[in-house]
Amino acid sequence: MRTVRHPVAALAPTLSRRSFTFLTAGVVVSGAAGCARDEGPDELEAPWAAARADAAAAAAAATAFPDAAARLTPVAEARRAHADALATEIRRARPDRSEVLDAPAPAVGTPPSAAEAVTALRTSVGAAREAASTLAVSTARYRAGLVASVAASCAGWAEVLAS
Amino acid sequence: MTAPVDGSAGLEAVRAALGAEHAAVWCCGLASAFLPAAAAQPLADAALAHRQRRDALIARLEASGERAAPAAAAYATPRPVTDGASAAALLVVAEDDVAVAWRAVLERTDDRDLRTTGVAAMTASATVGWRWRRLAGITPEVPPLPGSR
Repeated sequence: MRTVRHPVAALAPTLSRRSFTFLTAGVVVSGAAGCARDEGPDELEAPWAAARADAAAAAAAATAFPDAAARLTPVAEARRAHADALATEIRRARPDRSEVLDAPAPAVGTPPSAAEAVTALRTSVGAAREAASTLAVSTARYRAGLVASVAASCAGWAEVLAS
Repeated sequence: MTAPVDGSAGLEAVRAALGAEHAAVWCCGLASAFLPAAAAQPLADAALAHRQRRDALIARLEASGERAAPAAAAYATPRPVTDGASAAALLVVAEDDVAVAWRAVLERTDDRDLRTTGVAAMTASATVGWRWRRLAGITPEVPPLPGSR
């Protein structure tokens, strides 16, 4: 997967002219830009860390404010699912980054009130949605669906928390 | 993760997305007869978004010399639609189908315009879908990973 640097060019011989025109009609992402690189952080580490932090914050707030647990716990579960899915892909593509994934999570503070916890979480998943939406357009094909699913889920939870 | 696929599969994914958008437009029309008045505006907004993406897909296919399939005259609903809750449940299915179809497009193209539209479509399925899930009594109100099955 990581060796395919120019997907469109590599695939061109198998395409009909019409299909090729269709696929190249818009601005095409550079093949290299979206692939996992062998050096530096994996581009999924940032969304993974954000998801893990949101999951921890939502779970901590649900414990601190039981009256708001029904609103906060589903968000904690969703963000935990995002973190798990992203970590699985990072481990697959970049076994050398497992140290980052296995490092202890940062400590989580608890906001002074349930309302503030909900507001903070809403802001955070909103930011996660924006970041993932951007990454889903530029990342490699095989990751674009996962990242877009995370963006969509965050968008949904941001609205639910605002409702 | 999905392995890279050739362009004909990308085209197939786009055709499938068009089919899902056609179906969603139809479902919005059917549901409008059953949903409470408070849902009328969100439903109208959702229907408009589906029509806009449908039209964009048709234009895209036709500009590429590809045939854009028309909508079916009617669609078979998974369950009978008889009231607000069952209408909302149908919309949940329609929105989930749209998210699945667009996720498949995202995984088969590097085209920024298509990717951007796909992310917007998947996002809308969640930002609109929670309302239908709530009306239908489905939890969680947002799927953990919209578009995955």
